[in-house]
Amino acid sequence: MAETENTDFQAKAADLLSQFERILQSDPLIDEIGFVHPSQFVKLNEELGSSKSATSEITGNEISEFWLQDHKLGISTQILHPLYIAARNTFMAATRKYRSSCNQDDQTMAGNSLCGLSNSLNVVESDVMKHSRALLLLSCDFGTAWNSRKFILSKKQNLSIYLDELLLSKLVLSFFPKSEQAWSHRRWVIKLLVEKGHSVEEILKKESELVERIAEMSKMNYRAWNHRHWLVSYMSREQVLYELNETRKWAALHVADNCCFHYRRRLLLIILAESSCAEINSSLTLRIYQVWKEELDWDEMLIKRYIGREALWIHRRFLSVCWMRHFTTDHKKFNKEGGIKLDFPFFIENELNLVNSCSFISNEDFEDFQAQATCSGAYLLWLIKNCPNLKVDDKLRTYNLNTLLKKACPERYLLWDSLTDSIESSD
Amino acid sequence: MGELATEKHVQYILSVEKRKDDFQSVVMEHLRMNGAYWGLTALDILGKLNIVDADEVVSWVMSCQHESGGFAGNVGHDPHILYTLSAVQVLALFDKLDVLDVDKVTNYVVGLQNEDGSFSGDIWGEVDSRFSYIAILCLSLLHQLDKINVEKAVNFVVSCKNMDGGFGCTPGGESHSGQIFCCVGALALTGSLHHVDKDLLGWWLCERQVKSGGLNGRPEKLPDVCYSWWVLSSLIMIDRVHWINKEKLIKFILDCQDTENGGISDRPDDAVDVYHTYFGIAGLSLLEYPSLKAIDPAYALPVDVVNRIRLGKRHAI
Repeated sequence: MAETENTDFQAKAADLLSQFERILQSDPLIDEIGFVHPSQFVKLNEELGSSKSATSEITGNEISEFWLQDHKLGISTQILHPLYIAARNTFMAATRKYRSSCNQDDQTMAGNSLCGLSNSLNVVESDVMKHSRALLLLSCDFGTAWNSRKFILSKKQNLSIYLDELLLSKLVLSFFPKSEQAWSHRRWVIKLLVEKGHSVEEILKKESELVERIAEMSKMNYRAWNHRHWLVSYMSREQVLYELNETRKWAALHVADNCCFHYRRRLLLIILAESSCAEINSSLTLRIYQVWKEELDWDEMLIKRYIGREALWIHRRFLSVCWMRHFTTDHKKFNKEGGIKLDFPFFIENELNLVNSCSFISNEDFEDFQAQATCSGAYLLWLIKNCPNLKVDDKLRTYNLNTLLKKACPERYLLWDSLTDSIESSD
Repeated sequence: MGELATEKHVQYILSVEKRKDDFQSVVMEHLRMNGAYWGLTALDILGKLNIVDADEVVSWVMSCQHESGGFAGNVGHDPHILYTLSAVQVLALFDKLDVLDVDKVTNYVVGLQNEDGSFSGDIWGEVDSRFSYIAILCLSLLHQLDKINVEKAVNFVVSCKNMDGGFGCTPGGESHSGQIFCCVGALALTGSLHHVDKDLLGWWLCERQVKSGGLNGRPEKLPDVCYSWWVLSSLIMIDRVHWINKEKLIKFILDCQDTENGGISDRPDDAVDVYHTYFGIAGLSLLEYPSLKAIDPAYALPVDVVNRIRLGKRHAI
């Protein structure tokens, strides 16, 4: 490889790495990191009204390849290649040394200890931690570096080390919000923290906040929301209800983010599953009924306000099917309790009105209205498919619905034909 | 409509392997094994695998194997089930599965199955329905599927199914085309497709096609060439591929080519990479684009490679 032939390159790379690691050590509170074109450094300094960032004092260089202010660290895009090569080589060497020392240490322990060796092991151990940190901030999914940290951590008892690890993962996610390894490492640490007796409530609160902040800057981030899903298994019923309430505002501000709506579906299903164990007229069942009704009304309001948002209609598909399966079968029992209007024809009438009001398109309409018509037509198909008892006007059922869908979304004509065919043949 | 720039793509794939002089080309080195699978399978579909030195590739692949039997993404890295499958697939492409110590690889994969039937990606325990597919495919290629608890493995995959007909990465996780491919693939390889509501899932998958003809991975997302593979292969496995507009999808993929320097990108005019180049070519193969080798939707390998392996089993018996 060219890089090993060039000693200048190597010397420069090693120097950059040591500068980088000194900066990381000097400010343990760095909470944001980014790769920045060097021309931006000048601008950043101008904004601050200063000619240099804090890094010049740390590195001793007047002109630095790094920029640090208010715990935000910028790395010049021009040094990424040599810096990465140095970080990778140094880390790989350290981790090899550490693993072979561990083996050696095990053998010596068996033959009655040598603390000299254990001391040297501590040095290598902190080297691995230092270099893997630098490497992961450059290459977030370098699995071997995360693993080497897990290996060392699994021998430790001190909770604060685990909390530090959450900070590192958070820092990596500030720049690489989709990093699968950083999320996975977080879960590994949290599992251990919970096992060691750390407060679950505190973890849940902080993790929910983190996911929300990251979801804000990285839209429809599957990995971030998956992390929040994973936390659900640690939640009590009160916490599930709390989360449902908490995410409502965020969802209303991000109506295209299907991830958040799916998360709400998950929470709703948990509540629903609990209700099937509860007494039918219990206050819990009524509360669940109210939650569902509120969700349907809220979703309808959003659909009317934000035209053509697929995620809102997908949410409605879910809500209606659960509603029909779960509540309308027991409506007599519900009606007895507190005047809730719960009959099936009433529900369907409301849905058909919604579809009608959303399915009008003229030739001059914008794309959003076309999307709204497509979604509403597909929603009606969904209701018909999922509810064989549904007696919708024959005209609406077949010819008109197919025509509407083909007009609103001609590119999916094969799908619409196949779906309407399969409905007609099942009649 | 333009045509597939076969020669350019071959040159592009070969050049990716040699480039090491900038950050972008070295920073993905931890998953080089996946890269090898993408690049080499693409070459094979294009009918150009013979220009690669098979011995060199095989010896590099084997240098990534660990004591545990698992493979790493590159020499000196830790093993993971993701790279283990890619290693086995690359060896299969070259008809070199016989260099493997089958028991050793099998033991590695079998050791990752959990009590609930799911699979961890490595010793650190992260669970994902993708790993179930990988384990099942890896063992199928080695004729060792009977070494795991298939029933439990299938039950776990089925538990990742959502009410929309799709599948997520864990039970309750959001439906995602990539995860759907893995779950449907796992069910197809174990003869368990009866667990899938084909009309419902087919509907969800076809709604991924957007105006430009391209497919997205989830609702409200932009189209991306890689979903040509994940969505199409799933549709084929559940026999609903005739519900999609194939002509528009072919055009979308061809529009994502860099016709000057080769390679395919996620969307028209974006930067190309080997991952999207493979999925674009594999997608076109599923769409029966002329002069491409056919690819198997569940094994994610050329059909002739899969047939060779199946035949191998018959001979072994």
